[in-house]
Amino acid sequence: MKLLIVEDEQTLRDTIEKYFTEEGSICEVAENLKTALKKIAVYEYDCILLDIGLPDGDGFAILEYLRASGKNECVLIISARNSLDDKIKGLNIGADDYITKPFHLAELKARLMAIVRRKTFGSNNILTYNEISIDLLGRNVMVNDKVTVLTKKEYDMLLYFIANKGKVISKNAIAEHLWGDEMDMLDSFDFIYTHIKNLRKKLMELSGKDFFATIYGIGYKFV
Amino acid sequence: MKLASHYNKVSVIISVSVLLVSGLVYYLIINHIARQQLDDGLSEEVAEVVNYVAQNHKLPKPVEFDEDQTSFAKTTLTHFDTRFFDAPYANPKEKKVEAGRAVSALINADGENYVVTIIESREDTEYLIQIISAITLALTAVLLGILIITNRYVLNGLWRPFYRILDQVKWFNVADAGKVAAVDTKVDEFKDLGDAVAKMSARVTLEYQGLKAFTENASHEMMTPLAVITSKLDMLIQDETLQPDQFAQITDIYSAASRLSRINQSLLLLVKIDNNLLQDTEKLNVEKVIMEKAQQFHEMIINKNIQLDMELTSLEINASRYLIDVLINNLFSNAIRHNKNSGNIKIELSGNRLQFQNTGDPNPLQQDAIFERFYKGRTSDGTGLGLAIIKNICALYHCEIKYAFKKGMHCFCIDFFKPV
Repeated sequence: MKLLIVEDEQTLRDTIEKYFTEEGSICEVAENLKTALKKIAVYEYDCILLDIGLPDGDGFAILEYLRASGKNECVLIISARNSLDDKIKGLNIGADDYITKPFHLAELKARLMAIVRRKTFGSNNILTYNEISIDLLGRNVMVNDKVTVLTKKEYDMLLYFIANKGKVISKNAIAEHLWGDEMDMLDSFDFIYTHIKNLRKKLMELSGKDFFATIYGIGYKFV
Repeated sequence: MKLASHYNKVSVIISVSVLLVSGLVYYLIINHIARQQLDDGLSEEVAEVVNYVAQNHKLPKPVEFDEDQTSFAKTTLTHFDTRFFDAPYANPKEKKVEAGRAVSALINADGENYVVTIIESREDTEYLIQIISAITLALTAVLLGILIITNRYVLNGLWRPFYRILDQVKWFNVADAGKVAAVDTKVDEFKDLGDAVAKMSARVTLEYQGLKAFTENASHEMMTPLAVITSKLDMLIQDETLQPDQFAQITDIYSAASRLSRINQSLLLLVKIDNNLLQDTEKLNVEKVIMEKAQQFHEMIINKNIQLDMELTSLEINASRYLIDVLINNLFSNAIRHNKNSGNIKIELSGNRLQFQNTGDPNPLQQDAIFERFYKGRTSDGTGLGLAIIKNICALYHCEIKYAFKKGMHCFCIDFFKPV
């Protein structure tokens, strides 16, 4: 997958680039609007991670350019502003999703995978990972061609882990993904443990394989 | 009492007392002068009698003219002071007794002493005094009437600009961008007051806007560094050679960062509510929102083994869905977070009253402090902004939120206003 990261904060840009490169995507970066527009004009990307607040203008200009030139890149807006107006404006002029700073890289990855899947897979809505295949429309999960019934949270978690396969994901990131802000961290860690235990068991029953590695003290890894 | 009434009261009391006192003094003076004149007349009469006696060496006949009645009485007194006194005057024409003025004096005729008494009618002078008093009273009444009317209408007119300024100050809301308009008046004091109020409100509004912008900018500026911290930690934990205790420390940093981010989000939300920036007003059903939230919090409720009782009736209101979501969310989250294991939560929605009751701390909370920003109980690990947000949302929609502690239950009660 080819990505363009448009972000003026260098540390953040580098971190995102590193996270996605490790996983196998090709990343290019732009630190301002001018560079970003130049790159978009020349190259094709699968997805653009777009910071709205750029030193030489706001990122909406890129969305307008993409729309005007008939390009079909996925755009995920990264914004420091949790503003409903910005969100609506962004989504209205062609962005596919909107994520607010601060975010977990795992969350960014999961969101990005979701929009890329939506745009590129078209009618084929089956996501396959080793023995697991997921019908994204029907929300059915098959393991070795046998249906396993997952709860909504387990299903969400499975997609989240598949998007971040091979990465250590902190319990904090999982909690925020599943519950947002509505829960105290310490409470939610117990729930995560229960949900993972159940999901792990269901997958193991049909595949005979443990997909989860527990990284003691911090979180889990999907392998 | 209004200033005009105060002024009216004082001016009426002063005018009435001055008029009464001066009327009295006036009456006494006129009375005195009239009496003096009568006495002068009587003295002349006595002098005439004395003259007559001196010329004719005998007493004049007691004459009775229209006005005076003269009488003589023999006396053995050799010394008698001439004295004037009030005496009844029998009017022979009209056959009635009138007020009169008399003089008694000693005269000597042919070696005999006589007391001569001359009585004169006072009727004419009395009449004059009465007329003068009546005119004075009438003038007093007219003057008072004019004074009251002038005070009422002229003063009210004069003070009108003041009340206009006062109204503007009353309705002044620092969060509104609206300005205090200058008041059109010819009175310098009110012009100055109006200008001062306009300047002050403009300055206050500007400073408030500045403060809000600052809060918003500061919160936004913090989001990027927070994003750096979070993403760096996300990278750091990929290193699986780290020890569990190092991971535990990282988890603490994660939690602190996420708490900081939640505080920031809450502050931003407060700014947005204050500025009324969330304009996505729609008709929504509070009952439905509560049902949805109950579903969302189901896991946590079960986990704490809390008994949840809901008695809900349908209630439609016009509000921002997002804010009502936040409102119900915070109420639920507080009721669960501050509850004890195997406690109770009771939610009642009837009419336009919503009540959230929960068990928990056996002591009541500090009623006036809980809605303050960053007020937190000793054991709370929330942001301390949840109730402040609830209060501000209620204030935005002109609802009232009250806290009470009843039978061991903490009760938050909101009175919604139905859409018109």
